[in-house]
Amino acid sequence: MSREPMKQTEDTSSDTQPKRSEASSGNQNAVDASVSGNRIRLDGVRKTFNEGSVVACDDVNIEIDEGEFVVLVGPSGCGKTTTLRCIAGLEEPDRGSITVDGEDITGLKSKDRNLAFVFQSIALFPHMSVRKNIRFGLDMNTDLSSEEKRRRVEDVAETLGLSEALDRKPSALSGGQQQRVSLGRAMVMEPAAFLLDEPFSALDANLRDHMRVEVKKIQRELHTAMIFVTHDQEEAMTLGDKIVVMNNGYVQQIGTPYEIYNEPANRFVAGFIGSPSPNLVECTVERTADGIALASDFYTIPATETQAERLESLVGETVIYGIRPEYLDLQIDRGAFVADLDVVEPLGDRDAVHLSAGGTDLSAVTPQGEIARDTDRVHVDIQTEEAWLFEEDGTRIV
Amino acid sequence: MSTTGYDATGVTLKATAYGVVAFLVLGNLVPFLFILSVSFMPPSEFFTDPHLVPYEPTLEAWTSGFEELRGNLVNSFLIGAGTALLALAITIPGAYAFARKEFYGKTAGFYAIISAMMFPYILLVIPIMDLWTALGVYNTIFGMILAYQVFVTPFSIWILRDFFENLPTDIEEAAQVYGCTQFTAFVRVILPLAAPGIVAVGFLAFLTGWNDFLFANLLTTGTGPVPAVPVLYGTIGGGSGERVYWGKLMAETLIIGTPPTIIYLVARNYLESAFSV
Repeated sequence: MSREPMKQTEDTSSDTQPKRSEASSGNQNAVDASVSGNRIRLDGVRKTFNEGSVVACDDVNIEIDEGEFVVLVGPSGCGKTTTLRCIAGLEEPDRGSITVDGEDITGLKSKDRNLAFVFQSIALFPHMSVRKNIRFGLDMNTDLSSEEKRRRVEDVAETLGLSEALDRKPSALSGGQQQRVSLGRAMVMEPAAFLLDEPFSALDANLRDHMRVEVKKIQRELHTAMIFVTHDQEEAMTLGDKIVVMNNGYVQQIGTPYEIYNEPANRFVAGFIGSPSPNLVECTVERTADGIALASDFYTIPATETQAERLESLVGETVIYGIRPEYLDLQIDRGAFVADLDVVEPLGDRDAVHLSAGGTDLSAVTPQGEIARDTDRVHVDIQTEEAWLFEEDGTRIV
Repeated sequence: MSTTGYDATGVTLKATAYGVVAFLVLGNLVPFLFILSVSFMPPSEFFTDPHLVPYEPTLEAWTSGFEELRGNLVNSFLIGAGTALLALAITIPGAYAFARKEFYGKTAGFYAIISAMMFPYILLVIPIMDLWTALGVYNTIFGMILAYQVFVTPFSIWILRDFFENLPTDIEEAAQVYGCTQFTAFVRVILPLAAPGIVAVGFLAFLTGWNDFLFANLLTTGTGPVPAVPVLYGTIGGGSGERVYWGKLMAETLIIGTPPTIIYLVARNYLESAFSV
């Protein structure tokens, strides 16, 4: 289930896609990107630290198409940054391979990979002007004429609104401008892919939203693959064409934002994606007069037909019942069960309503102001057809 | 403190602070003024009552002092510069390795080098003389340069290691992503950023080579490349109790002190940022 998007075959690597023929003309020792699209593929990548005692990531298989925006998301320490650093050549994987268009780049130095990396810490060269910072890669890795380099730097600066700042030192710029310079340093290389490691985490919220839109726009215009690492699931949802959810060093699920949101592959993904977090309730599978039902501390939830089919063999066992807050309907007078209302949290057009029923905390989302703040008790209905069921170890049942 | 106006504690504190500063400044300045004044006095004058402004100023001490020191100043300069360059050549890669690389015995090795600083140098004189004679570098400028590495490299490695450690690794990695090898990243990015530390270490190494007396006196003979400082010892009479020409001694002291002062003034900005971390 989690390997679903891995169905592409290798044969496109021989297709000629002349779009980028000029882009790498000066890059004689970089992977030649001019012959075909830039498809990046990770196969069984494993990286450990401290002589194997810390496994940062393991069995990572990801495929990135040309022009695709892929977001690696997960809690801190889940291996997403390590994976990105392996792609960039800043870490050497213990096992597995990384290919660009079928060409194995696993052992190449990072400068020879034709990939651009944008650092979380921005990492500009403080002793060089903005112009020199942006030009750095061209100076070091290409033999373009200085006229051509100047043109590229100025084009990129124009795109990023940095034309005025070109001759200043990075320390004279604001955080947002610095991160733009760092993007410019990457863009000017016209790389096979951009690798961005939480690039906006140092910026304040407004600027971050603004930069997100800008990056997405740039990516659309350049049609270059982008691999973006973040711990912020909201950022992942808004940016990614494809989202790779990671936890404890393993890929949990790969899919479009909708797939990830609607059909989480396991309990971790369900709990990690979405805000407020989904309700995940432990239930016991029971056989009742009306068929299969799920008994929780506060209510016995009838199973739908599809759920019942799969639960037939699990009667008596404990399962996790998952339901997004928006699929709990709250009413004042009638409903399947009653819950105490703890807090109403305004989210703008919606309110998050935190409830407790039989000692279990639940959350629901309602349109703004629908539930008055001083309400004590509400009746709750569950849209059971929207629920997910997981085994106790987190594997999705249905 | 400054906003409170005339409160007694504030004023007292400030007065005390200025008092301490004034005392320290005078403690340095008064002897210095006397040195300056005596260097312009003829011998007849500095043996009479102490006074600050010479009655009959003369350049005699300066010209004869400079004449005597000329060759030795060149030696001192070669020794100081050589000490600094050799120390940098050894300690820049060494300190970088201690800061950034993992290798067996890294911590133990580092403390072994640092503990060499605790060793009383005078105990090294005999073995070094013996060894240098055997190696054929006794009584040569190169021999002196080599001998000073014993004092200079430990503190240089210490200072530079901290400097390299404090530079963000991301910057180095950025250089590598954008076309540098580890070595070119070091040259293009790390060295320029570590410039204050490198200048500081070079300056201190130069000072060691320039100012040292012990090795300078013991590792050279009168016919060899004697640096300037041991000549001062000659001017003071070599402890023989003969009459000392204070004017010349003072002039020579000032002459010897001038080059490091100029270097300090030139490198001041770097040095300040190096030691303000």
